[in-house]
Amino acid sequence: MVVGEIPESTGVLVIGAGPGGYAAALRAAQAGKAVTLVERDAVGGTCLNVGCIPSKALIGAATLFHDAGHGASLGVVASPTLDWPGVQSHLQRSVEALTSGVRQLLKAAKVSVVTGTARFMSPTRVAVEDDHGLRHYEFDDCILATGSRPMALPDLPVDGERVLDSTGALFLTARPSSVAVVGGGYIGVELGTALAKLGVTVTIVELAERILPELDRGLAQVVAKRLRELGVTVLTGQRAAGLSADGLGLALADGTVVDAEKVIVAVGRVPNSDTLGLDHAGVRPQPNGRLAVGPDRRISRHLFAIGDLTDGPALAHKATAEAEVAVAALCGEPAAFDPAAIPAVVFSDPEIATVGLTTAAAEAAGIPASSFRFPMGANAKARILGDTAGYAEVVVDGDGTVIGVHLAGPHVSELAGEAALAIEMAATLEDLAGVIHPHPTVSEAVLEAALGAAGHPLHVHRPPRRSG
Amino acid sequence: MTVRFALPDVGEGLHEAEIVRWLVGVGDTVVRDQPIVEVLTDKAQVELPSPAAGTVAAVTVAEGDIVTVGTVIVEIDDGSAPTAAPTAGPTAASTAMPTASVPIGTEGAAPPPPVPTIPTGRASGTRPKASPSTRRLAARLGVDLRTLPGSGPGGRILAADVETAARPGGPATTAAPAAPATTTETAGPAPVAAPLPQAGPLGPVPVARARATLGQLPAGTHPLRGIRRLTAASMAQTWSTTPHITGMDEVDATALLEARKRLQASLRDSGAEAEAAALTPLVLLAAAVARTLRRYPLVNAAVDPDGTSVTVRERVNLGIAVATPDGLIVPVVTDADRRDLVSLALEMQRLAGAARDRTVSAEELRGGTFTLTNYGALGGRFATPLILPGQAGIMGFGAIKERPIAVDGAVVARRTLPVVFSADHRIIDGDLSVAFQETVLGYIAEPLTLLLGA
Repeated sequence: MVVGEIPESTGVLVIGAGPGGYAAALRAAQAGKAVTLVERDAVGGTCLNVGCIPSKALIGAATLFHDAGHGASLGVVASPTLDWPGVQSHLQRSVEALTSGVRQLLKAAKVSVVTGTARFMSPTRVAVEDDHGLRHYEFDDCILATGSRPMALPDLPVDGERVLDSTGALFLTARPSSVAVVGGGYIGVELGTALAKLGVTVTIVELAERILPELDRGLAQVVAKRLRELGVTVLTGQRAAGLSADGLGLALADGTVVDAEKVIVAVGRVPNSDTLGLDHAGVRPQPNGRLAVGPDRRISRHLFAIGDLTDGPALAHKATAEAEVAVAALCGEPAAFDPAAIPAVVFSDPEIATVGLTTAAAEAAGIPASSFRFPMGANAKARILGDTAGYAEVVVDGDGTVIGVHLAGPHVSELAGEAALAIEMAATLEDLAGVIHPHPTVSEAVLEAALGAAGHPLHVHRPPRRSG
Repeated sequence: MTVRFALPDVGEGLHEAEIVRWLVGVGDTVVRDQPIVEVLTDKAQVELPSPAAGTVAAVTVAEGDIVTVGTVIVEIDDGSAPTAAPTAGPTAASTAMPTASVPIGTEGAAPPPPVPTIPTGRASGTRPKASPSTRRLAARLGVDLRTLPGSGPGGRILAADVETAARPGGPATTAAPAAPATTTETAGPAPVAAPLPQAGPLGPVPVARARATLGQLPAGTHPLRGIRRLTAASMAQTWSTTPHITGMDEVDATALLEARKRLQASLRDSGAEAEAAALTPLVLLAAAVARTLRRYPLVNAAVDPDGTSVTVRERVNLGIAVATPDGLIVPVVTDADRRDLVSLALEMQRLAGAARDRTVSAEELRGGTFTLTNYGALGGRFATPLILPGQAGIMGFGAIKERPIAVDGAVVARRTLPVVFSADHRIIDGDLSVAFQETVLGYIAEPLTLLLGA
């Protein structure tokens, strides 16, 4: 049987059904376009299936288990037991609840979802291959949203048994006694923290001279200290060389061996721009593998790219925001992706939220900046929670406009929205300091940092300035 | 392949232009027809579009440079290569530079159609201070926030600023946030940056730089660029060569405002809504001045550069000073004396809009024989405007507001209009200056006499 000689026509072809692709498909369908969404694996992409969602489900379970056993100072004494299969089914249920919601939305919007691997045949034609053969699609507009995949290390090939990538680390069938996490970026730190809280002996190996090298040093220090308290061994400035000769551990370049039942490789992600046959579309990725796009996410008139395929942080919410821009542009509306800040949150212990510029980044960009750090130890809610590590820092430019908010502390991921709103609205210190923040909450730390940056903190003693 | 972009002849046979502002930098990705640089020619500022999609490989002239037509000003790597070798090409030295993933011509010879683009904030430096909804509005209306002054606190750009910028000559915006209620009187030499009034008998909407941003510049020495440089040169020239005399008076504007109201009502009755909106008080004043210039030809004249002769102009071409974020622009209404009020109104509105959104042509800025400045739109009562080089006079109008005047032996409150007139004393003495001004005041006091012609 010859399949696909006659191409099917579609208005908009979206390749990749992650948080960028499914959002683009929904928006385009809402705009009245005939939409085909191609996904080679599962609707929801990395984020919903093997990324943000299951990892936060794991971190939630791990934190509950850990905290339940550490409540003596609050007068709660308990000895929780761990039901590993129960944890795993919690992850699966979380994933299933959200991905089935997305599938229902796509169905209701009459998006045609096609399972298979897409390759360009020409600038306007894509072939989708599945177990049954090839199907061809001719499109008016195409949005590329194929995301990224974990970067592989040649010396530590992932075998799914001894060496795992981040996906394998999430869906372990049994609790290992020890793991070595190669890569101290936010994925490695989140996984390492969760496993440590679940009772696993964890070693984190980072090539740079500190963990979380992508974040401000002050934030990383707060997390590094807590990791030590959790019993995690952090080895920095170390290169992983491969499995040890006896096969029982991870060998480092300096000859030492780290005991590890499992080795988890989490050293970064590479864009999925090399599997699409883009040369047939006349498109060449940049040397870093990303695709160059205009402000409206256009590669060329009818071809768009969003999410991890484009420059910038590889974050789900960035992809979703770009999807809105790309669909508006292909519908003929002027649109541009020009956020003042893309918030980033790390579900480490304590949590980190970082939005906008640090003082160092501002100075590098030629913007005069100053900042104030308010310690969580002076925040009432953090005291009540018994979790006083961290701080709230507000960065302002020369005329008092808030350009950065950086937080480490309990539940601060929930404060990233406030920080982003302030920066996007070009709020001044007076604006932020003039907003009543409820008591007792961790959000008061943001208020205090703004007051401090304005020169008059309330809950930190500073001798009054005298003039003359 | 590197596309070298030479400065085109953007005016009518101009030889050079000033590079005012680069909108892109080396390493930036550009799409075809995206504005990449602002250049200034003969008082008209234009944005030049990119000739190709790709990556900016080199910027070969600096901001502030005066460049002759034909000079290469920017090089763009369009990402295509004669061979497939990715690192080949003239910019091999900069291998770290991102290569644009642009189409490499699989569709045959047809050039890629221009891609619509909108301005966005730059990746580095301070961003325009505007909320996301305001930025979206700007994108929709095609307003470049980087050059737009904001009227909000600390120079924040508000939605109203964007709307005003998008409809420069448009009718009646309701908001007049900077309406001068308690301003001090204008001091120092004019011409003052003075836009046309846009709405309401008393509420002309100033579109000049927001007060919060006026005069803001860090300590240090800054080059004068673009319109500022040209203004500096022409004002210094007129100040050093032309002996000015300035007369000042004030006139009851009640009849003028009443006449305008009736004319507007009449236009609206016949469905001419746009014409009614364009009929500002300044239109009636321009008509009065044009007729007066007909009557006193020596004011519609210029002392020749060597100072030994005077040339009386045949046509009456009125320059109207318009404030823009980049400085003062004076488009010219040709044959103002021969136009009826509706034609005059529409032309003044069109030119003011074109001046503000910088689509005014070099030709429309030439040939003025006399100038009007409506500084009162910003507030203030009296001013001493400076005559433009090549002219013999400039008339300015202060803010119309209620003031005490004597009528039939009693002091009453009336809406009055301050009128100032600067004249070149080399050819215009006090008697002519006063006669000219009195004639204009007469038209204002009795607008019906405009019907009689000059």
